[in-house]
Amino acid sequence: MAAEAEAEEEVRLEVEAVVAVYGEDCRVYCDFPPHLVVHVRPNTADDSSQQFVELFLGIKASSQYPKEPPHVYAVESKGLDENRQAYLISSIQDKAKELSYYPMLVTLCEEAGEILSNMNHPAGDCPLCLYPLVSENNHDSALPFMKLMSCYHCFHSDCIMRWWGWLQHDDANSKKIDTTISTGEELRLSNSDKLYNANHHKGFCPVCRKVFDEKDIEHVRDLLDANTSQLMACLTVDLGEDDKELLHSEAEKKRREKIGSLFNLQQERNGLIEPKKDLAIQPGMYVSLPAIEPTTSAGDSTNSWEATASSTSVTDPPVTANISGGGKKQNNSGPPRRNRAYAPRKQPHGQRAGKQWQRSQPARQQWQKKDAET
Amino acid sequence: MTSSSTPSRKALSKIACNRLQKELAEWQVGPPAGFKYKVSDNLQRWVIEVGGAEGTLYAGETYQLQVDFPEHYPMEAPQVIFLNPAPMHPHIYSNGHICLDILYDSWSPAMTVSSVCISILSMLSSSPAKQRPADNDRYVRNCRNGRSPKETRWWFHDDKV
Ligand SMILES: [Zn+2]
Ligand SMILES: [Zn+2]
Repeated sequence: MAAEAEAEEEVRLEVEAVVAVYGEDCRVYCDFPPHLVVHVRPNTADDSSQQFVELFLGIKASSQYPKEPPHVYAVESKGLDENRQAYLISSIQDKAKELSYYPMLVTLCEEAGEILSNMNHPAGDCPLCLYPLVSENNHDSALPFMKLMSCYHCFHSDCIMRWWGWLQHDDANSKKIDTTISTGEELRLSNSDKLYNANHHKGFCPVCRKVFDEKDIEHVRDLLDANTSQLMACLTVDLGEDDKELLHSEAEKKRREKIGSLFNLQQERNGLIEPKKDLAIQPGMYVSLPAIEPTTSAGDSTNSWEATASSTSVTDPPVTANISGGGKKQNNSGPPRRNRAYAPRKQPHGQRAGKQWQRSQPARQQWQKKDAET
Repeated sequence: MTSSSTPSRKALSKIACNRLQKELAEWQVGPPAGFKYKVSDNLQRWVIEVGGAEGTLYAGETYQLQVDFPEHYPMEAPQVIFLNPAPMHPHIYSNGHICLDILYDSWSPAMTVSSVCISILSMLSSSPAKQRPADNDRYVRNCRNGRSPKETRWWFHDDKV
């Protein structure tokens, strides 16, 4: 009896540990037997512009836990197709079986984070043109794409802009239709019509119809139209007072120096890894700029789409806090890592993107190099 | 909006062409179950055979869908109608026009011929009775001048069928 109570107490402590690590990202439905849902994100140094997937992981244990592994399931996910989600869940389930008899709640969440980090890139085709979003083997065809922040659906920037332009044009035309067809017998507006009119100056995701704001997409258009210097100016204008201060702050200066030395280090190792030039526009959009042939790797054809990175983004370090040198979509497990101690996690919500610089893992670099040589 | 009433007059844009070629290639690899693309060299007009699903009112029957693509497909919805004879269905008029929201107001460029076909088959399959829409005669009379269904202001029947 005493042993049982002790075991239960241990499990309760484990649940507390998950809460300590995941903070607001963890919702506990039951302490014992444990039933909780944890919002798991890839390790992107809390840079939301670099995040393409996420999972609300459900863990439901029986009173026999941990002797009996808990049931794990996906409550909700973003950016994961059926296959990837199934793989993710079955991997966590396997891990749970492997860890039977041991406390595993935190480990399972971390395992989910690890797998998500490896999956942290948009998958599949652009829903508008049906061509791949991310080209695996031909970097000439890698087009800039963007992510809708509300639903994580990704599109080629050109494709979504074309559609936005069409919506505007359609809007202008619909008034004409109203008068020309008023002789018809079916004049009652459908619900979707009303919805459309209500969303007059808004766009909606072509895939899931979640509404986004006109401002967001106009911003993307400006960015796509502008050349680099104009683009910098445009972003600088949009920065709030805080950010302007940041730009001139000591910390920012240090950050730039760090970037410089990091670049040198990377160059020493193989001269190939270059950050992808990314722009993050909060809160709506993510844009990656058109690829410029990296001069140092001209002629090399690597299998990594990251190789489409522009060399200019490194040779002249970002001047605004909004321009990220990241580009580590696929391997985000390098430092800086989230502290593994039981400390509350920082909430990335609403944080400006692109302030973090991440080193890529040496292993990754070697892999890319090897790739480039073949 | 004159382009929608005569969908086959204006040639496909380059973007529409690319997209349709991609759709056709994907269709040939894995067509939606129950559908057969009738080979033609006209990319702008597809004729697709659809077989009624087993266990439904239309089992064993075959119908033909005609899909016409506008210049700015997929920004603009394709025009989809049944060729004569159209199946008897509460949302399908005898002239082949189909009352289905995704073909009109609820179209999204993320939809494909394939997904439209699946929607149409599911609409067919859930039919409770083989009958025409209540306003069939009046509607068809109004369409005699060759009006495209895309010009109709549709009022969508309940979503259940
Ligand atoms: Zn596209
Ligand atoms: Zn969406």
